[in-house]
This record gives sequence, structure tokens and C-alpha cells, in this order.
Amino acid sequence: MTALEVLLFSLFNGILYGLLLFMLSSGLTLIFSMMGILNFAHASFFMLGAYFAYQISKYVGFWPALIFAPLIVGVVGALIERYGLRPVHKFGHVAELLLTFGLAFVIEEVVQMIWGKAPVPYEIPQSLKFPAFNWLGLDYSAYRVFMVLISVAIFVGLYAFIKRTRVGLIIQAALSHPGIVGTLGHNVPRIFMLVFGFGSGLAGIAGVLGGNALGTEPAMAIQLGTIVFVVIVVGGLGSLGGALIASIFIGILTNIAVSYDISFRGFFMALGVSKDAVGVGSDLVNMTSAGISPILPYLLLVLMLIVRPRGLFGKRDV
Amino acid sequence: MRRLLGKSGVWLVGAAIILLTPAIFDSGFALSIMGQMGVAIIFALAYNMLLGQGGMLSFGHAVYFGLAGYFTIHYLTLMGDEVVGYFPVSLLPIFGGVVGLIFGIAIGFVSTRRAGTTFAMISLGFSEMVTALTLILVAFFNGEEGIQTDRWVGPEPLGITYGPDIQVYFLIGVWCFLATLAMYAITRTPFGRMSNAVRDNPERAQFVGYNTQRVRWLAFALSSFFAGLAGALHAINFEHVGFETVGLAQSGIVLFMVFIGGVRNFSGPILGAVLITLLTSTLGGITEAWLLYFGVFFVLMVIFAPGGLAGLIMLHEPVWKTDVRLLRGMILPYAGGLGTALIAGVGVIGLIELIYFSSHKLTGESRMVLLGVETSVFSAVPWLVCAAIAAGGIVLCRKSFPRMARSWNAAIDEVRARAAA
Amino acid sequence: MIFQKIGAGLLGLAMAGALTLPAVAQEPVRVGMIEPFSGPVAQIGIEVYESAQFMADRINAGGGVLGGRPLVIVRFDNAMNAEKTTQQVKKAIDEGIRFISQGVGSNHALNIIKQLEKHNKRNPEKSVLYLNHSAVTTAFTNELCSFWHFRFDANVDMKVAGLATQMGRDPNVKRIYMINQNYAYGKSFQAIARIMIAQRTSAELVGDDLIVPFGKVLDFTPYVAKIKSADADTVLTGNWGADMVRLVKATADAGLDVQFYSIYGGLPVSINGYGIEAGMAVRMKQITEMHLNDYQQDELTPIMAAYLAKYGHTWYGDRQRLIWEMFAKALNKAGSDDPVAVAYALEGMTHPGPNGEIWMRAEDHQIHFPLVVSTLDDRAPRKIVYEKQNLGVGWKTDGWVSREDLTLTTTCDMKRPT
Repeated sequence: MTALEVLLFSLFNGILYGLLLFMLSSGLTLIFSMMGILNFAHASFFMLGAYFAYQISKYVGFWPALIFAPLIVGVVGALIERYGLRPVHKFGHVAELLLTFGLAFVIEEVVQMIWGKAPVPYEIPQSLKFPAFNWLGLDYSAYRVFMVLISVAIFVGLYAFIKRTRVGLIIQAALSHPGIVGTLGHNVPRIFMLVFGFGSGLAGIAGVLGGNALGTEPAMAIQLGTIVFVVIVVGGLGSLGGALIASIFIGILTNIAVSYDISFRGFFMALGVSKDAVGVGSDLVNMTSAGISPILPYLLLVLMLIVRPRGLFGKRDV
Repeated sequence: MRRLLGKSGVWLVGAAIILLTPAIFDSGFALSIMGQMGVAIIFALAYNMLLGQGGMLSFGHAVYFGLAGYFTIHYLTLMGDEVVGYFPVSLLPIFGGVVGLIFGIAIGFVSTRRAGTTFAMISLGFSEMVTALTLILVAFFNGEEGIQTDRWVGPEPLGITYGPDIQVYFLIGVWCFLATLAMYAITRTPFGRMSNAVRDNPERAQFVGYNTQRVRWLAFALSSFFAGLAGALHAINFEHVGFETVGLAQSGIVLFMVFIGGVRNFSGPILGAVLITLLTSTLGGITEAWLLYFGVFFVLMVIFAPGGLAGLIMLHEPVWKTDVRLLRGMILPYAGGLGTALIAGVGVIGLIELIYFSSHKLTGESRMVLLGVETSVFSAVPWLVCAAIAAGGIVLCRKSFPRMARSWNAAIDEVRARAAA
Repeated sequence: MIFQKIGAGLLGLAMAGALTLPAVAQEPVRVGMIEPFSGPVAQIGIEVYESAQFMADRINAGGGVLGGRPLVIVRFDNAMNAEKTTQQVKKAIDEGIRFISQGVGSNHALNIIKQLEKHNKRNPEKSVLYLNHSAVTTAFTNELCSFWHFRFDANVDMKVAGLATQMGRDPNVKRIYMINQNYAYGKSFQAIARIMIAQRTSAELVGDDLIVPFGKVLDFTPYVAKIKSADADTVLTGNWGADMVRLVKATADAGLDVQFYSIYGGLPVSINGYGIEAGMAVRMKQITEMHLNDYQQDELTPIMAAYLAKYGHTWYGDRQRLIWEMFAKALNKAGSDDPVAVAYALEGMTHPGPNGEIWMRAEDHQIHFPLVVSTLDDRAPRKIVYEKQNLGVGWKTDGWVSREDLTLTTTCDMKRPT
């Protein structure tokens, strides 16, 4: 690959990966912007989506699973809101957050109880298994293209729904002025329940589509649990556009870090670390950007919160 | 005078418990668990300085706990190799505390500028970064293997070598007592009150002239000191520090402890630390599904008892303070409530164990012993029996719980009436 | 909660009771098995326990050890937490257990080695022996070697040496790309592989990456692109778990024409994760002490059939049999369950293996046996069964590597109790 090709590849692949991240975090940012709840169990809903899809596709194939698995996850989410979150709402956001923290544990254990502790063979559907195109010697399967399309559709659909429809306006109003919206005859608790269910359902869709690409196993929720927070905090809590930009930015960042494999030798030597240093010094001198690529998002998170606590596009502080 | 005695009485009882329990439970495993409890108590109280007293929810307080552990281990090893000067092992917790304090001051400077969700998210970010660093800065953290050491180093004052577990238990016990005393004293200082004020109403606190950020920073640094102290004791207890000690799971467990124990009461975290340590170290040996019970227990606590166990107990404080005899009328309804809850619990637990057993096929057999009765998971009988017990228990609970609430209301009404009179 | 405890406690008692049934009511020889039985990686611990239990049952059905004493495996859950491992060792010692078995996670293994060295020094009359069935860090039989530790699996150096020997024979291996996990195990794989590739193959090393381990990398496409642009024909990797599954998925998805040489790529749990099609596409190869289509001991056939019938899994590898057979033999040879005597009995022991004699080297307590490199193939005669599902693929032998080729020098300076 030429230098230009490496750059183009990193950008392109970063966008693909970023769109997957966006799909993962869209439901979370929706729930936060509407209800102000940081849902720690979001990745667990993602996992449920993958497992439900595995189970359904075993009997009736992938396409029905794509419809029904998110629906079931959405219903589970709505029930959790109704019987779990609503009673603790009066104790404030910390209690809500703690509840979802505990739920993440419970969901992981329930998944293990039903499907066992080993990964399940949840596979990409045969109908999308052909290579859609080939670039720089790498095949890009039709399935990846399909994932990208769904992710874009989610963004466009959500954006239009929140900004352009009456329901979206009511929901937004219900967050800032629940009293007035309630007086106008809208059932605010029910709106919240539906929003939470819908947001969980979005995580479910991501699970259906991501589960077979990343592997469906009980540990998947833990592995993804914190990265989605980085996305929505960096993007600005509650900002859909921000989440999209942040996802793509993180995607490109990690791709460039791996593809270029930049060494920090010069940097640390300029700081006075000898190149023959032993101990921690040698670790620093031998550190490369590929080696630290998975922590770059967290570094970004901390820097962002220090410099600009409202994130890229947030309207208010986190 | 009587009040003073009552106050110091609690501390005397605490000291007696620390001194006497090893006489009853003297096995290595028990000593190890009790040592762990002592460490957990310090860590949980330190954490509650943030959450309960300062209103700061942290997902990364294990960073200070773990880093202090790493530094302590390194110091012990270097001392064993005679690279650094001798520092009594008994006083190493102070060293750990200072390490925690330094990191607390440094990281707290940036993280405590905001409260609420921003603070929680920054703590999460730092937690993930330090966890990742354990695999990158191998020379210091030694990756996933962590670091081993031998605590038996240096001179042996009064024959204390810290070889035997019992000596380490008493080391932890003494430090646990001192740290608890110190943290209690802090809540009584003007700073403690200020921290509460900043938690409850930051705008107002700022208006009357407090620098809310400075108060949070100070609380954070102090909390990190005690977390570091606990971390050093943890390192001495296990003679090992691994990457788990700085991770999200360790931060999560201390959050569990504090919340289940009760955030609004000083003794809450102590209760939580003892209970959770006991559960995590023993339940795993009893049932496969222990993490599930653990999670469900936590979720139920958040929904029904956000004040934690201490909160539940303190609901009854006015009753016993007014007249202990008032509690007598509550015994029967409470016994009824607990009894029915137990029945429902047995049924539900039976069902969960059946599902676990049949889905895991651990023994490759169909027969299991459920609640003392041998049965086959392929027969419908155990499933039906457990379902019936669970359903019956839940129906009974719906009757007994309101009775429990009524008896409490009655007692409180009586208390109010007497107070008015 | 209380009832639960009692119930589950009784469950444990009854299970222990059931185990002792075949033998006469003699005091059992208990072995504490410390593995993850809860949490996200519990599956591995459970499978290890199943095979150990299976072997204990067989030994007990054949009359037990030391003239009729049954072998009992006692489970201790460490939930994959190093501190918990330390605690469970203490618990096992409290319960009077003198033998500990563990293998999942080298960090846990190291904890046990260090802890037992201290314990055995402080309490020589209550010494405890550690039987390591799968923790492969070479240092445990080199600079960190201990009299109280015996390893019944080939270490990383031996496995990589075996892979390199086979790669040297394989005309398709010309350009090798290495990907490993950035922690102790992955780095020791990397270090020895650099040496072995130079010594035992004529291939060129065209790439050498370390990734952040334990499922942190979600997107392997950039690595796949690097493999492609390095024009590699072979990927050599020590990855396991999600790091293996995602690497294989991404490589197969990009349609790369490479073959995989691995240590753990062939675990049925991994095959289940990346899928058969992807595994076939990358021609996944593994190195083991035997596989279901290649062994010479006829007695293994009924063992494998019985195991499959009971647990619904194919017998994977053979060390879970060898460890318990050798342990039973050592107990009988020592004539007592004293760990020191058993340890001396194990030193230098030879035993019939699936493909020739196996040998426990006394110098460093490292087992030595021939290893076989095999490829995932749907035309293999016997197919892998996992969780009662026939995966439709099996293993086909590429070549055996002799015990002599795998005998490496050790730096161990063993300190034996006097």
C-alpha cells in the first residue's frame, strides 16, 4: 500500500467501524437526551439482542430475527423502566444509574443461565455472505455494507423523528417541562417508558447486527460496556449528531493508530528518557500507538471532560 | 457523661469484636476473610466520604486503592533486596495512604472541578486508563501477573514477623480501628459539614462563601488517602497485587458495599463491607448462581431500600429511642413478613437452581439435590413444587408486608404522640 | 438465603457422597481444583473439571489409589480473580487438602507457585503440591521453577518449537506474519518464535504485532490490512478467546488467502466462536499432544466414547487423562499421600502416552511428549462434537514433532527440601 492508500484505508475503515460504534450508542444517547438517565446496562441490551437473534435465527432465519429480536429487547427495556427505574426515579439520577449498574450484572448472569457460558455460533446470514466489493486487496462483505446502511438509516430516522415530528417535540418537552406536558394531557411516565423501550430496542438492533460480527458470548457486554459511554460523552451528552461525529472520530483514530504504528520513542527521549533505559523507561520508549490504541478513546474522554465538559456538541455540561 | 460513655461504648465493642473474633474463627481461610473485611471496611468508609458525605459517584476509586498496593509491594520487595532503607511493615499503610493522597490530589485536581455525571465519567475514564496501563507499563505493574512479594522482611520487633496470618489480621484490625476513628472524627469537623453542604446544595454553599470545588477536592484527596491505606493493607494481606485491584470490578464492588450498607449513615459502609465480603468469598463455594443472587439482591435494594441496610435499621431509631417496649408490638408482623419473604425466596431460589442445573449439565446427570431433597430435573414435580412455593410465598408477602408497614406506622404514630405530649 | 445455603451445602455433600460410592469407605485422596467456575470465562473451568471428574471416576472404578482409596476432586471457584485464587488456596489448605490442580491463567498459576513456596517453607509438615495442567508460561520450569510445581502440558517454548518445526516442513510457509497478545504469555510466544523461525524454517518474518489483549480490540480490519500489504502467506499467533475469534472472523471476511498456525485456535469453544466456514477459510492449524483422528493407544477409543456420551464433548487433547494417570501412579509408587514423596515419585517418571512414551523431566518438572500439528478439515473421519452439537469438521494431521525435537534446555536450578 502506498502512503496515500494507507491514509485512505484508515479513513474509510475508520468510518465503517465508527458507524458500528454509533449504532451501539445511538439508543444510549437517545435515552439520555430524553430522560437524563445514563444507562449502564445498555451494552447488556446489546448482548440480549445478539442472543435473541441467535435463538430466533436458529429456527426462522436471520431476517425475522432482525425484526423480532429488537422488539423483544424493547419490551424488556420498557418493563425494566416501568418496574425498576420508575420507582427509583424519585431518589435521583444516582439511584437510577446504580439500578442499571446492578441490572448489567443480572442480565449477564441470566444470559449465562439460559445460553450457557460458551460463545454461541451466531453466524452472518448466507444471503449476505458474498463480497460486495474489493479494495486494496481486501474484500468487503455485503453484510458490512448492510450494517453501514442500517446505521445511517438509524441516524436519519432518529434525527427526523426527534426534530421533525410532533411526538419528538412532546418527548423533548417532557424532559424539560414534565409538569406542563402532563397538564396538557400527555402521559409523561408512559412517554418515558416508551422512550426507554425504544432506546433499548436500538441497542437490540445493534446486537442483532454486531453479535455475529464481533462474536456472541457472555463477556461481550463487559467488553463494550464502557466504549459506548466514551462515544456519547465525547459527542456531547444527548446530542445525536455529536455521537455520530464522535463515533467516526474514534473509529478513525484507532485505525490510524494501528495502521501507522507510530512510535513514541522520540517523544519520550525528548522528555529525557534514555533509549537504553530499563524498567518503566524502556516500556515508554518501546510504546507504540498500535499498542495503546484501545485506550485512546478513554484518553480522549478524560481530555474532553477537562477541556470541554459539555462534549463536542452538547448543549449543557454532562 | 452517660452520653459520652454510650459513644465510646460503641468503639469499645468494636475493639472487642476485632480482638475476640480470631479466637472463634482461627482457620487460615477465616483469618484471610476477616482480614479482607477489615480492608474492605476502610475502603468502603473512604469511598463513602465521596458518595455519602460528598455526593460524588466514582467508578474508579479502586485506582487509588490499587496504586497504593503496587507501591507498597514494590517497597516491600526493595526492602527485602535491601535497596531502600528499612521502614517498619506495621507503618507501611501510612506509606500507602500517602501514595493514595498524592494521586488523589493530582487526579482530583482535574476530576473534582465538576460534580455529578461529569465527575462519574472522568472517574470511569481514569479507571479504564490505569487498567490499560497495567498491561503497558510492564516494568511497574507486571501486566496481568501482577507482583508478588514476601512481607517477612527486616527486623522482627517483639517477634512480629508478619509470617503467620494471625499477625497480619491484627495489623489490619488495629489500622481498621484507627482509620474508622479518624474518618468518624472527620465527619464531625467543620470540613465534614461543609462537604455535606456542598453535596446537598452546591449553589447555596457557594453563595455563602465556600469554594465548592476546593471542598470536593479536599474530600477527594482525603478519601484517596484512606483508600490508599486500605490498598497497602490489601497488598500486605495477600502479598500480591494484580491488575484486578485497580479495575472497574474492584470499584464496582466497593460501590455495592457502600450502597447496600447505606450511604447516609456512618456505620452503613461497615455493615456493607462485612456482608459483601462474606457473601463474595463464601457464596461462590455454595452455589453456581451466586453472581445472579448478588445482582438481584443489589437491584432489589436499590428499588426498595435506597437507604441501604443501615437506612432500614435507622427507620426504627425513633422507636427504640422513645421506648424499647414499642418494638414488642412489631415482632409478630415483622416475623410474618420475614417468614413469608423466606418462603417466596426458597421457591424462587429453587427455580433458579433448577434452571442452572439443567442448563449447565455440570455433572452430566439429571439428578440433583435441591434444598435437601434429591430430585430429577427432568421430572415436572420439583419445578411445580418450587413454582408453587414461590407463588404462595409472593401471595402471602402481599398480605404480610402491608401488616409490617402498618405496625411500623403505628409505632411511629405512638412516638409522635408521646413527643407531642 | 439460609435455606439456599443449606440446600446447596447438602447438594455438595451428596455429590461428594456419590463419588465415594464405588470404592470402599476409605479416606479419600482429595485434590483441590481451583478454576473459574463463575463469571464470563467459567466455561473453560467447567470443561476442565468435567474431564478431571471423568478421570477420577475411571480411576476409582478401577480400585482407586493406594490400595482402595478414592480420588476426589474438590472444586474451588476463583471467578478468574487472582486474590480469590490466593484465598481458595488457603481454604483448600484449611480443609486439609494436600494437592492442588489448576491451569487456567498463568497469573493464577504464578500466585499458587509463590504462595505454596511460602506456605511449604513456613509449614513443612503440611506441605502442598501443585499439579499444573495447562498454564504454559515457560518461566515456571525455568527461572521460576519450584519443587512444588509439576507441569503436565508442553510450555510455550515447546509448542512454538513444534509449530516452527512443522512450518519448516510446509512448502507453503514463506512469509510469516505474527500477531500476539501484549502480556506475559503473548510476549514469550513472540520472543521464542523469533528464534525458532530463524532456526527451524527458511521463511521470512514479514510482520510482528502485539495487540492489547483480552477482547479490548473490537475491529481487526487494520491488522488484516497490514497482513495483506505485507504479502504474508502464513499467520502465526498465540491468541485465544475473543482475540482469536475476531482475528479469524476479520481475516476470513476480507477474503485473505493465508493459513493460520496457532496454539489455541483449535479449541472447540473457539471454533464455535469464529464459525466453521471462517476456520476452514484460514486453514486453521493447532498443536496438541494428540487429536481425535490421530492416536496410537487403542485404550483411548473407549475413553473418548464414554466421555462424549457423558458430557456431550469431544475429548480434546489428552493431558487431562495423563495428569491423573500419572498422579495415581505416583501415589502408588510413593506408597503414601505425602506430597514430598509423591513429588519425588513423579520426578523422571515415564508413562505410555497417546503416541509413544511421555516423560516428566526431573530437572524442571516439565512433561515431555511428542506433539502433533493438525488442520481443521471437514473431510476428517471423526468430527468434533461440542455441547452435543456435531460441528461437521474434524482434525487432520499435518505432521508429528518428536519428543527429542521438543526437548529444550532448562535454566532451572531446583531447590529440593532436605
